Amino acid sequence: MVNRKYDPKEIALGAAFLLFLLVIVTFYILYQSEAIQLGYRIAGLEDRVTRMKEEIKKLETKKAGLLSLRRVEGIAREGLGLTDPKPGQVLYEGVDLPREKKRP
Amino acid sequence: MRGLFSNGMRPRALALAMILAVWFVAAFGRLVHFQILNHGRLKAEVLEQSQNDMEVLPKRGTIYDRNGKILARSLPAQSVFFSPLKSESASAQMEQVVRLKDLLGLSENELSRIRTRLQKRDPFIWIKRKIDPEAAGRIMDLNIKGIFLQEENKRSYPLETLAAHVLGGVGIDDNGLAGVELQYDRLLEGEKGRRLILRDARRRSYQIETLKEAVPGKDLFLTIDETIQYIAESELEKAIAVCGADWGTVVIADPKTGEVLAIANRPVYDPNNYPPAVPGEGVNRAIQHTFEPGSTFKIVTAAAAMELGQVGLGETYDCREGSISVGGTLVRDHKRMGILSFPEVFIESSNVGAIKIAQEIGERNLYQMIKTFHFGERTGIDLPGEEFGICRPLSSWRKSSLRIAIGYEISVTAVQVLRVMNVFATRGRLVRPSVSLDVEVRGISGAENQELPKVLSERTASELAEIFKRAVEEGTGLPARLEGFDIAGKTGTAQKFDEEIGRYSSAKHLASFVGFVPADDPVISMIVVLDEPKGLMQYGGQVAAPVFRDISARVLRYLRAAPKPKAETLVTAKMAKASRP
Repeated sequence: MVNRKYDPKEIALGAAFLLFLLVIVTFYILYQSEAIQLGYRIAGLEDRVTRMKEEIKKLETKKAGLLSLRRVEGIAREGLGLTDPKPGQVLYEGVDLPREKKRP
Repeated sequence: MRGLFSNGMRPRALALAMILAVWFVAAFGRLVHFQILNHGRLKAEVLEQSQNDMEVLPKRGTIYDRNGKILARSLPAQSVFFSPLKSESASAQMEQVVRLKDLLGLSENELSRIRTRLQKRDPFIWIKRKIDPEAAGRIMDLNIKGIFLQEENKRSYPLETLAAHVLGGVGIDDNGLAGVELQYDRLLEGEKGRRLILRDARRRSYQIETLKEAVPGKDLFLTIDETIQYIAESELEKAIAVCGADWGTVVIADPKTGEVLAIANRPVYDPNNYPPAVPGEGVNRAIQHTFEPGSTFKIVTAAAAMELGQVGLGETYDCREGSISVGGTLVRDHKRMGILSFPEVFIESSNVGAIKIAQEIGERNLYQMIKTFHFGERTGIDLPGEEFGICRPLSSWRKSSLRIAIGYEISVTAVQVLRVMNVFATRGRLVRPSVSLDVEVRGISGAENQELPKVLSERTASELAEIFKRAVEEGTGLPARLEGFDIAGKTGTAQKFDEEIGRYSSAKHLASFVGFVPADDPVISMIVVLDEPKGLMQYGGQVAAPVFRDISARVLRYLRAAPKPKAETLVTAKMAKASRP
C-alpha cells in the first residue's frame, strides 16, 4: 500500500473549507442561541407588559373605589366638617338672580 | 501488511461485528419501542413537557356610567387547583390539601368535597377560586407538590353596593346572573381564545403562538349617572331610617329620552359577593315588584277623563259626603272635602271625586286609557326579570273594579307609573325606559323616543301637567315643593291587603310620589315608593314627597339647573300725612 502525498495547497484548501464550515456552524448555533435568548426576553417582556396593563387597570379600579361618593362625602362631612351649601351660597353662571338690596 | 480479514484477525473481527450487530439490533429495537410501539404516549409526554395548549379566557367588558366612571371591571385573580400525583394515596394527597386549610380558609364542606374527588382519583380539582394576590404568593412559597395556580378573571365592583340592582352580578365563571350583567351577557363576555406556549427542558417559555385570538367582551356604557345614583341611594337610605319602611325604591329618568339616570333600592346587596345572602335583597323593586299604586294612579283617571271622557276643567263633583260605595265597597276620602272642581279632585287627591269622574266617563274609557298606557305589559326596559303587573281585562271587571280609578284592583311596577308620568312631561309621548346608553345595543335612540307617536294630545297633557303642578303648590304634594323650581307631581297612599285579616289594613300603607321637575321644561322625572312606613306619618305626601324634594334639590344643583329668579316684590308705602289728633 502506498501512501499518497497530499499537495500543501490541497491541505490548505481543505482546512479552509473546514474552517468555513466551522464558522458557518458556529454562526448558526450562535444565531439560534441568540434567537432563543431573545425569545425568552420577548416572552418575558410581553408578560411584563401584560401584567403592567393589568396593574394599571387594577389601580384605575382601586382609584374608582377610593373616589366613590360615599367615601368622599364621609371624609368631607366627618373628617373635614363640611356641610351642604345654603340656598344663597350657590352661584349659577349666567343666571341673574335677584340680589338682596342693601339698606341705605 | 495483514488484511483485516486475515486468519489472525478474523475471530476478533467477527466478535466485533457481532457486538455491533447486537448493539444495532438493540438500538433498533429500542427505536421501534419508542417510535412505533409507544409513539402515541411518548409524543404526548414530550408535547406535555414542551408545549402548553392553553385556553385564553376573554376579558369581560367593563361597565361604565354615562360619564365614563367604572362601575364593573374584570381583573386577574389566581385560582388554586390540585393535580395529584398518581402514585400517591388519597390520604397522602389529602394531607397536602389540608396544609392550605388555614391559608385559604377552607371550610369543612369544601374539604369534604375535595376528599370525595380525591377518592375518585380525579386528576384536576379546584381548591379555591379567585383568591387574593397575597394568598397566591404565600401558596407559591409553600411549594406543595401538585398544587398549582391558574390565572382567571374576577369581576370587581369598585363602588360596592352602588347601582347593585342595575348591575346585577356574575357567577364563579364570570357569567352574568342578574341585571345588565345578564341582559348584556353575550356582549360583555367575548370569545375564548387558544395559544400554544413552547417551553424548554426547564419549563421556561421561549415562544408563544396564538392559535385563536381571544376576543374581549365589549364595554358597556349605561345611562346611569353615578352622582345621581348616589344621591338617590343616600336620600332613600335616610328616608327609610326615618320612617322605618320595609323597603323602598327610587327611579330617576330623563323624561324626554327615557334614559334611566338612577335606580335605587333598599334593601341592597354588594355585587362583589353575588348572589346576595338574603334572597329579598336581590329583588329590583323598581321593576320586579308589583303593588297597588293608590292615588298616583289617578293620573290615568285624569287622562281618561280629559282625553276620552270629554270632561272639562270647570266641572264640579260633590264630595261633601266623604265616602262613596263602589260595588258594595266603601271608599273614603282622607279628609272631609266640599264641592270640588275637576282639577281640585286631583290636587286634593279626593277618592270620592275620582270615583265620580270614573262613573261619569265609564269603565270602558278608563280601561281604554289603561291599555293606552300599556299597564299589564312590560315597559321594555333593558333589564331582566321585569314584571308585567296585573291588569284584568274589562270582561272580568267586577262592580268594585271601578276602584281602579283610585289605584286599587290593579298591580303595577314603579317604572310603569313613572313611564306614564313621563307622558305628561313630554306632552303626550310614551317613551321606553332604558339603561344602556348604546343605541345599537338597546335598539332605540333618545331621538327616536322623542319622535314616537303621541298617546295623549298635547293639550290634555299640558293641562294635566298644570294640575299636577298645582297639586304640589297647594295640594297633597305640598311637602315636595322646592324653592325656585316648579314641580308637577302626584302623591299616592295605598292601603295594603292583609292576608291575615283578609281585608285591606288601615295600618299598613304603601306611600309614593311621582313627578317631574321643572314642570315647564322637565330635566328629570322621578318616582319614590316606600313600603309600610311606620309611625304617625304614613301618607305619600308625608313620607315620599319630601324624599322627592330632597333628591330633586341635590340633582338639580348637580345638573346646574338654576332656580327661577324670585319675583321682585315691590313694596309701596304711602307716606302718611301725620295728622295726629
